[in-house]
Amino acid sequence: MKSPAFSYYQAKDLADAINVKKTDDDAVILAGGQSLLPTLNMRLSNPSVLIDIGNISELKEIKVDDSNLIMGAMCSHSQIMNNKEVNEKLPILNKILSQVAHPAVRNKGTHGGSIAYGDPAAELPAFAVLVNAEIILSGSDGERIVSAKEFYKGLFETAINSDEILTSVKYPINRNGMKLFFDEVTRRHGDYAMAGLVGSIKQNNKINEEINLVFFGTGDRPNEAPKTCEYLLKNEYNYSDIKNTLKNDIDFASDISSSSDMKAHLSAILVGRMMKELN
Amino acid sequence: MDDLNQNPKLGAADRPNSYIGRSVPRERAKKLLEGKGKYVDDILLPRMAHLSYVRSPFAHAKIKSINIENAKKYPGVLNVFTIDDIEKVCTPWQGVLGHLGEMRSPTQYPLAKDIVRWQGEPVAVVVANKRAVAEDASELVEIDYEDLDAQLDMETAMDKSTKVIHDDLENNLFWTRTVNQGNVSEAFKQSHIVEEVTLDFARHTGVTLETRAIVADWDSSEEKMTVYHNGQAPHMMQSIIAKHLNLSEGLVRIISCDVGGSFGIKVHVYPDEMVTVAVSKLLKRPVKFVADRLESYSTDIHSRCHKILGKIGVDDKGKILAFEIDDLSGIGPFSVYPRTSAIETNQVLNLSAASYVVPNYKAKGTVVFQNKTPMCQYRAVGHPIAVAITEALVDKAANALDMDRYEFRKINLIPDNSYPTKTPSGVPLEDLSHEACIEKLKKMMNISELEKYKKESLANGKYKGFSIINMVEVTNPSPAFYGVGGAPISSQDGASIRLEGSGAVHISTSITEQGQGTEAVMQQIAADQLGVKIDTVRVTHGDTDATPYGGGTWASRGAGIGGEAVLKASRKLKENILNIAAVIMQSEVNNLDVQNDQVIRKDGGEVISLKDLAQIVYYRGHELPPGTNAELIATASFSIEGIPFVFTNSAMGCLVDVDVDTGLTKIEKFWAVEDCGTQINPKLVEEQIRGGVVQGIGGALYEECIYDEMGNLTNGNMADYLVPMAYEMPDIIVDHVTTNSGRSILGAKGAGEAGTGGAPGAIMNAINDALIPLNTQVTSQPITPEKVLKALGKI
Repeated sequence: MKSPAFSYYQAKDLADAINVKKTDDDAVILAGGQSLLPTLNMRLSNPSVLIDIGNISELKEIKVDDSNLIMGAMCSHSQIMNNKEVNEKLPILNKILSQVAHPAVRNKGTHGGSIAYGDPAAELPAFAVLVNAEIILSGSDGERIVSAKEFYKGLFETAINSDEILTSVKYPINRNGMKLFFDEVTRRHGDYAMAGLVGSIKQNNKINEEINLVFFGTGDRPNEAPKTCEYLLKNEYNYSDIKNTLKNDIDFASDISSSSDMKAHLSAILVGRMMKELN
Repeated sequence: MDDLNQNPKLGAADRPNSYIGRSVPRERAKKLLEGKGKYVDDILLPRMAHLSYVRSPFAHAKIKSINIENAKKYPGVLNVFTIDDIEKVCTPWQGVLGHLGEMRSPTQYPLAKDIVRWQGEPVAVVVANKRAVAEDASELVEIDYEDLDAQLDMETAMDKSTKVIHDDLENNLFWTRTVNQGNVSEAFKQSHIVEEVTLDFARHTGVTLETRAIVADWDSSEEKMTVYHNGQAPHMMQSIIAKHLNLSEGLVRIISCDVGGSFGIKVHVYPDEMVTVAVSKLLKRPVKFVADRLESYSTDIHSRCHKILGKIGVDDKGKILAFEIDDLSGIGPFSVYPRTSAIETNQVLNLSAASYVVPNYKAKGTVVFQNKTPMCQYRAVGHPIAVAITEALVDKAANALDMDRYEFRKINLIPDNSYPTKTPSGVPLEDLSHEACIEKLKKMMNISELEKYKKESLANGKYKGFSIINMVEVTNPSPAFYGVGGAPISSQDGASIRLEGSGAVHISTSITEQGQGTEAVMQQIAADQLGVKIDTVRVTHGDTDATPYGGGTWASRGAGIGGEAVLKASRKLKENILNIAAVIMQSEVNNLDVQNDQVIRKDGGEVISLKDLAQIVYYRGHELPPGTNAELIATASFSIEGIPFVFTNSAMGCLVDVDVDTGLTKIEKFWAVEDCGTQINPKLVEEQIRGGVVQGIGGALYEECIYDEMGNLTNGNMADYLVPMAYEMPDIIVDHVTTNSGRSILGAKGAGEAGTGGAPGAIMNAINDALIPLNTQVTSQPITPEKVLKALGKI
């Protein structure tokens, strides 16, 4: 379990990092390294060079304005959990991050790393899709923004081009009365979820006007469930109907933690918990 | 005083230096916590090379060709070896013993020869200047395989259509045994009720914090092989390495440094470790092999993997009349050398129903080969299976009779006043205390409160259940365990103890330390028996050149056997000290004693420090009358005689919450009352119980080596193979009953197996108690959320 040989490059600034990245298709960005380094040691990946962006201070900033929270790519999960403004403006992030692995991993693991890696069982990509965060990519042609809903293309596949680096993620906040939900089912605290749900409900006079559901640990990417959302706007929660509707929405894929049946079942249970909590 | 031992053979518990029975802090813990432990991987020797193994990616395949040329040319590579090279210096072995009936396991070579039989079997070894380079070059070893049908499922192993793994055997049977006491079929006929259940236990493994590691250093000038090895039984390894590498046994030195957990994983002979020694001999230089985590999962021995059918017959008053089991186990393609892979099944047969009076008992065990990682003895060998099947049936019988589970046990447990007696399978038992333990457990658990809690929770839609179980635990084995069958495994242990010129006391023991506190225990016994302060005592262990001969640490034998040797040696040394002091102090020996590092007169007056006494002996011997026996060193050995094992017993219980939506089980509390005889250090005993329970929780709820239909281990990493972690662990409340073993002065039995042996049954029974209102049960471990939901018909 020793990684194959690779070069290491510590980028001075963003332009420097992009410059190296665009000249080498096999270069890989080293953010927190909490997924990348194990895959290296297991010899599951063989990059030519690791571009360390850990010294680029602008990537470690958290910016807040009236309607947005902008998370620099290199903010660690712990940094975000300990940020007072984040905890005030988007308290659900703290709840979500407390389920991401364990403190040692959260101290090193980064926000941008998790979003860019796009593990289908990870919490943050699903949350980004739920609120349709803006994912900011910098490349040799400058900056571009991809909405989270357009960002995830398949299993570990994203919209990032080979000469681009994810620099920040912009989350909308204060979205008039939108209530948020997060829950997941794991066998042990900190494990990847057998199934997890982030959801939102917007109500008017206690009537649900808008419902959004995004599941993780269920398929090849964060899974939206439009038919189920539509059903819930018209009907009371009913376990069997929800499970069936979810199966229409999502192609539940078995993994080592649980079967597709199990994932469908747990997803339906999670929807029930959400409807109970937010209504 | 409650926790102090009251063994009259040891003297009053409140005398000075009475360390036996006290939770003395252990100094080694500080060393390890400060990162100052020295493990095999910390060994750096001049010219040391590093090994990486090329392992079979197939469960079963023919090796058509191996091309090592490209790997050999890789910069930094010293050499690449296959079996053709290794077999010139290392002979193969066979995992069979002579005392348990016919075992049929073929010859196993240190590297695969012609055929690979499990995914992970070593095929070639690359030697390089760095491990990373060796791994790079491993990828360049080209092996052409022809895939063969893999025999994976133990249940179809004996079918006529199933591929036979070894050409020289007519089928896939390794070993079988039956036990038949009384007349079971007649007794079932006479039973008021008969209950049956079949339980499954998945394969799991030991997951030691420190993986297996070995450094071998061949000195061709002296023909001496020095091996740094993180094993549990240095003298066994010495004998085996000498035998298979054709070396003079006295010139093989095994050094076990600090060991980061073993659990039985590190007491076996592993092909890659033998090859490492062979490579050192071939290259005449030190070589290191440290298993990485991926290798550990596919090559450390696995355990469990049982399917067991059990049946109980009970009369209308709840008395057990008959008990029958039929156990099937799959052990991989070879029986593991030298302990064999028959012992777990043998224990299941010996230990099932062993806490109870059962007049008619029948048991059958069948052990078959499969193309998976070899399976062998891991902590609590066989106990979890025996306890779970027994206690599942006892609960079923009690429930069928609508009897309280505690009352049912009370009338069937072997009474505390009936020893010596035998298990239903015929193994001798003595000095046990089931009744006292279950009584204490019942009070600790406050069963009436638990019943109330269960009912109230149910009214709120919450499913809670609790259990009470009883068990016996095999500890302190005699020669009957391995030695009688022909294995080079000592059942005797030795201790040597000396007083040094500084007044310090130095013990050397054949018992080894893997982090459980062996050193502390030996220090306490020596200090207690000699009458010195504990920080006066140093301990050497784990070096065949420096310690007495002995078996090492496994099967919960360290304190009971090795501790007794230290006790006997300490008493001898004290006698010598007093005799010398009598001369110096011109006093009757009977009037002298040792307290706090001094020889004192019992009637008061002049004292002499051990330091002064030692310096007279060592530096100024002329002050002693000629002919004085002035030996300040004593050695003693101990082995269990007259019985095969010193059994201990425990009663355990747990309270669980089963979430019927998610299938998740939460253990809310766990209780254990154990009787390990004299507790030398109660805190260490309790940590053995707690650590054992945690490993038992692992087996019951989490741990499983998952294979796909091709025989690939699919979850051999720490993310996918779930071990129990702190967050999920309940409070584990431990209490004791003390029934000293009559086989020794110390009276200590073992404590290492109980938790792991008892917890799986306790957890399964508690879950099934919770599921009673839903008319279902779980029977397969690990009890995953998915299995619970399937039992509930939800998926």
